[in-house]
Amino acid sequence: MIEVTHHQTPRWRDVVLEQIRIVALSLRREAMVLAVVVGIVTIIIAIDIIGGRAGTWFDSDEWTGVCFLSFFFPFAVWRGEKRFGPAFLWTLPVDRRRLALTKVFAGWVWLIAVGAVFIFWHKTLAILSGVAGPRTTPLLSLTGATAMYLLGSALVLGLRHPLRLLLGTGGVFFLLGTLNEAIGRTGGTSRMLAWLGIGTLATSSGLSSAVEQAVLTIWRTYPHLVPATAVVLWICAGVIALWAAASRHRERRRR
Amino acid sequence: MSGLPESFAIVTDGLSMRYGSETALDGVDLRVPEGAVYVLIGANGAGKSTAMKVLLNLVRPDAGRAEVFGLDTASQGPQVRAHVGYIPESHEQDYKWMTCGRLIRHVAVHYPAWDHEYAAHLIDIFDVRLQRKVATLSKGETRRLQFVLALAHRPPLLLLDEPADGLDPMVRNRALAQLAEHLADTPTTVVIATHHIAEVESLADHVGVLSAGRLVAQMSRDELRRTVLRYRLEVPEGWQPPPELRVTSMRRSRAGREVQWTLVGEPDDVTARLAAAGATVRDVTPLALEEAAMAFLAEEGAP
Repeated sequence: MIEVTHHQTPRWRDVVLEQIRIVALSLRREAMVLAVVVGIVTIIIAIDIIGGRAGTWFDSDEWTGVCFLSFFFPFAVWRGEKRFGPAFLWTLPVDRRRLALTKVFAGWVWLIAVGAVFIFWHKTLAILSGVAGPRTTPLLSLTGATAMYLLGSALVLGLRHPLRLLLGTGGVFFLLGTLNEAIGRTGGTSRMLAWLGIGTLATSSGLSSAVEQAVLTIWRTYPHLVPATAVVLWICAGVIALWAAASRHRERRRR
Repeated sequence: MSGLPESFAIVTDGLSMRYGSETALDGVDLRVPEGAVYVLIGANGAGKSTAMKVLLNLVRPDAGRAEVFGLDTASQGPQVRAHVGYIPESHEQDYKWMTCGRLIRHVAVHYPAWDHEYAAHLIDIFDVRLQRKVATLSKGETRRLQFVLALAHRPPLLLLDEPADGLDPMVRNRALAQLAEHLADTPTTVVIATHHIAEVESLADHVGVLSAGRLVAQMSRDELRRTVLRYRLEVPEGWQPPPELRVTSMRRSRAGREVQWTLVGEPDDVTARLAAAGATVRDVTPLALEEAAMAFLAEEGAP
């Protein structure tokens, strides 16, 4: 007879590192697509640099897109992973909520890593293009990206069909906006988009810009109370939403 | 339930669960002795898979509690799962984008007791091709991979849900032989859920019978063989069996004044009760394990 070892749960560090590894592996395809896109854009920018027209590439508004992509990044992180029901993930000997949050953390690590590489690429090109002191502060986008990633993760973890909800919500707002304008109340759609961006921080590009503008202000100048509150608010909202979503998968306590 | 040892790997008390209007488990009191190979039989939808999911804390019962090696499944789910090797009923394996080798490495990280040497042996025995993508595996290949994942950390408890399902006869025999070898090397309690008891008859030493969510029988193989017997009786016209006897409808036939009943109870006691009720016992025949266990399923529809 072979002596049976005492079967313990895995070390936390091992689980985290493994999640970071497999999230990276699962995103290889997306990483390759991104690399190709960045390569093509680099060539175009290089041509513009030679032609002396590269300054337009370094506008802070570009970073809104990063935040937007960050919202959808969790969909890639969790792709192919059954989240509801007796899924394979939950048969592993790890607390279920912690495991879910670990996977979210692993995705965030790669989001920030890609963001950092992106920033380096962006700054390098800005310097090469001769833009003295680029107007953007690309580091700022990481905060907005984090907030959006947290909210996106909460959606993916908390709902069985998050895309349906997103499409449904978008559809409803589109219909209401169209209806609004049809009955003569012009500007209804833009007002609704502004409403989505939450009150005084709203801009035409919605929530991500609101977060980004707030962070820009903080990093560039002395932190004003309102934008600082906005950043804290959105990050906190993301964390709370994520905790609530992950709690849907917590260990099944007795009723 | 006499004759069961004191030490149990699994104890459940009054487990009940419903999926909507369907009853999955109805007051199930499982007692799986440590070191036993416990075969849980029942028709499709009888609650076998649900019982296993409750033990892994994958689903929450509406009532009742369960313990695995004294660990409460609801409050100590991760610790329980660390002690369990599980083969699910489904042949759908997640992480389809991974290769088999990467999936094995991924699972290994989560079990500190993972035996890499033994895993390599299992990979060889089950002929798992490490470079194959999980998505490209057939049902049988997926099942073989699941055997490796379940056995390689030498868990003290194996929960196997229809383990032979999807395997061709040759691989099935190899898998069962490997399971027998595993049990000889590693002290393990095994629960096998199946509706094909013949496939695992050689391994079984305890049997539980689930019918429509109720555990209608639970006993050792010896007890089952001793107490579930077929009686050939000569009976007077209009004779009815004594109500205190557990009569199954299996193999009941009438030829003139002779009937055959499958009855549950100590043979001497049953014979005495039958005689007292006016029947003459002509013959008593032991049943094969599958036949005896199936008798309890038929009992549900007995007159």
